[in-house]
Amino acid sequence: MTSMSGETRADRFVQELSELRIPDPAAARTTLWLRLGATLMALGLALAASAYLVSHTTQNPLDQRDGLALGLGGIAATVVGAALFLRYSLTGFLRFWMARQSYDLAVLADRLSERDARHDLTSTDPAPR
Amino acid sequence: MNALLELRGIRAAHDGITVLHGVDLHVRAGQVVALLGPNGAGKTTTLRVAAGLHPAQSGRLLLGGRDVTGADPRDLARAGVCLIPEGRGVFPNLSVRDNLLMMTFTGRTRAEIEDIAYGRFPALARRRSQAAGTLSGGEQQMLALARGLATDPAVLLLDELSMGLAPLIVARLYDQVAEIARQGVAVLIVEQFAAAVLGIADHAAVVVRGRVERQGRPDGGLRDELSALYLGSSA
Repeated sequence: MTSMSGETRADRFVQELSELRIPDPAAARTTLWLRLGATLMALGLALAASAYLVSHTTQNPLDQRDGLALGLGGIAATVVGAALFLRYSLTGFLRFWMARQSYDLAVLADRLSERDARHDLTSTDPAPR
Repeated sequence: MNALLELRGIRAAHDGITVLHGVDLHVRAGQVVALLGPNGAGKTTTLRVAAGLHPAQSGRLLLGGRDVTGADPRDLARAGVCLIPEGRGVFPNLSVRDNLLMMTFTGRTRAEIEDIAYGRFPALARRRSQAAGTLSGGEQQMLALARGLATDPAVLLLDELSMGLAPLIVARLYDQVAEIARQGVAVLIVEQFAAAVLGIADHAAVVVRGRVERQGRPDGGLRDELSALYLGSSA
């Protein structure tokens, strides 16, 4: 596989690899982030529920305010956890879905252009549907 | 030419159990290297580590002399590492043509991909509208190889190409693999059935329990050792 310039595939391979950016493996700990997201979601919900119980079982306004703060913290944790979980669980699926969508669109465009090419533009008949 | 693919002291594990204990291997451009050994020896794991699909606990993966240990397998695939997995990995419900067109992600046009595939395997051209799942095993393997070639690989990793195929078909497929290697592609083949691959291999390595026990030219000595390994007798 030698190109016109005399460059072999192996040469191009070495060249492409030299330009390859290798990310820090620690930055790509998808599973870890996924688990953290799920844990935060569950923990946040549990926290919110327990905060409700805390504030409900006391008449002391200070304790009730603690419960409020705890509940808000729980909700915030759930939101962050859900965001993390979605980010790392759905991206793989969505990437494939998008590839499939663009492929289907390309096929559709091909069919339409083939149909237009077949249709005689000088004819008065409408294009077949 | 230096090695296009090199594994240095690779250790890898499945579920905490170490299955590769320091594998050293290299493949040069245009070379066919056969990785042989019994079931469960760690051959497929070695291949997956080489493709960047399985993390190495320690050791280094070098491609074209560059340390790419820990690199994203998608980046390696884009650069030119192509793994054809055991079981072929074709989309059974898609037609032959659609299976080939899935390779347009490489930037090649549909016409280029079809030219490469049908030029190398004319039998596929006759079945272009047929669902891949209805092809014979040999034709499915041709399709898998054709899809691999469409990516313009520099390093081709083949896992159990002969699995479930008649010897005649296997011989034809290996002729094609030898032809691919002659064009400068580094080919690493994992095989359980040594006889099939040793005919085209320039170099062979025998893996036993996660270690390369012996490697060299596939001459009589290596064949005797393989016989001993498989039959459990002394060579």
